[in-house]
Amino acid sequence: MGLHERRRAQRMQDPEYRAPYEREAREVAETDAVIRQLDVLWADLGMSKAELVRRVNRNASSVRRLFTAGQVRPELPLIVALADALGAELRVVPRPAEAHQTAHEPAVSGVSQLPG
Amino acid sequence: MPPREHGRRRARDPSGRDGGGQLPWAVIYYRASDQTVPALEFLDDCPGTIDAQFTAVLDAVAAAPPPRFSGGGKWEAMHGSMGGWYEIRLTGPGREQFRLFCLLENGTSDELARRGLPRPAIAVITSMRKSWRTVFSERDYQRVRELGREHQRNHPRRIAI
Repeated sequence: MGLHERRRAQRMQDPEYRAPYEREAREVAETDAVIRQLDVLWADLGMSKAELVRRVNRNASSVRRLFTAGQVRPELPLIVALADALGAELRVVPRPAEAHQTAHEPAVSGVSQLPG
Repeated sequence: MPPREHGRRRARDPSGRDGGGQLPWAVIYYRASDQTVPALEFLDDCPGTIDAQFTAVLDAVAAAPPPRFSGGGKWEAMHGSMGGWYEIRLTGPGREQFRLFCLLENGTSDELARRGLPRPAIAVITSMRKSWRTVFSERDYQRVRELGREHQRNHPRRIAI
């Protein structure tokens, strides 16, 4: 186990560290999952970048950056527009009761592909 | 392969790992010649919540490293004079701004071995913090780059263990 892992394990014994760590990890995971699901949908549809850009009416660089490490704090309107262009939609789904009691926070579900 | 432009990468598992079951990258911390570890000293001095958030973002990026989208939008590729660097950007109490500056350690197995690294890694070099609505100077960034150059001159890398 490296220094990073040892330091994290030691810190996580403190509830005042563990809670913000777990909250941040959830937020990051939810955001990343949404972007990656959009990326998978895009690949599955075989749509060109030019076509995707045309459908969302944004500049090409904002679309490109969204799917790489170059984008900070992706904008929800762009994400919604991309999902729509890919025949999908975003949904917010409550967590299962047990997890909700632990986290006291709702979960953002991700991207669902629309039928047809 | 879908007909996408510019040699688009293939779609990957939304979990963040590629189809080859890539292992997470390591997270390492640059150690200066005076044995100080700037990034760890910074994290130790940060509010606990900021330390925890930085660690969570690092763990997420290590699990799904660039060029994948990772880090929840808080991990950013830098540009201009900081090209080749990545930063994690967080906002703390009173909107104080916290930044952690990182380099990627990736290459062939021979090159990684020359660097003393068993696998690719995120090298956490140093950090800065500033009040809201203030800016870092070019001299601030120059200091960051100097540490990075010093880190990259070392074979094997000098890191905290």
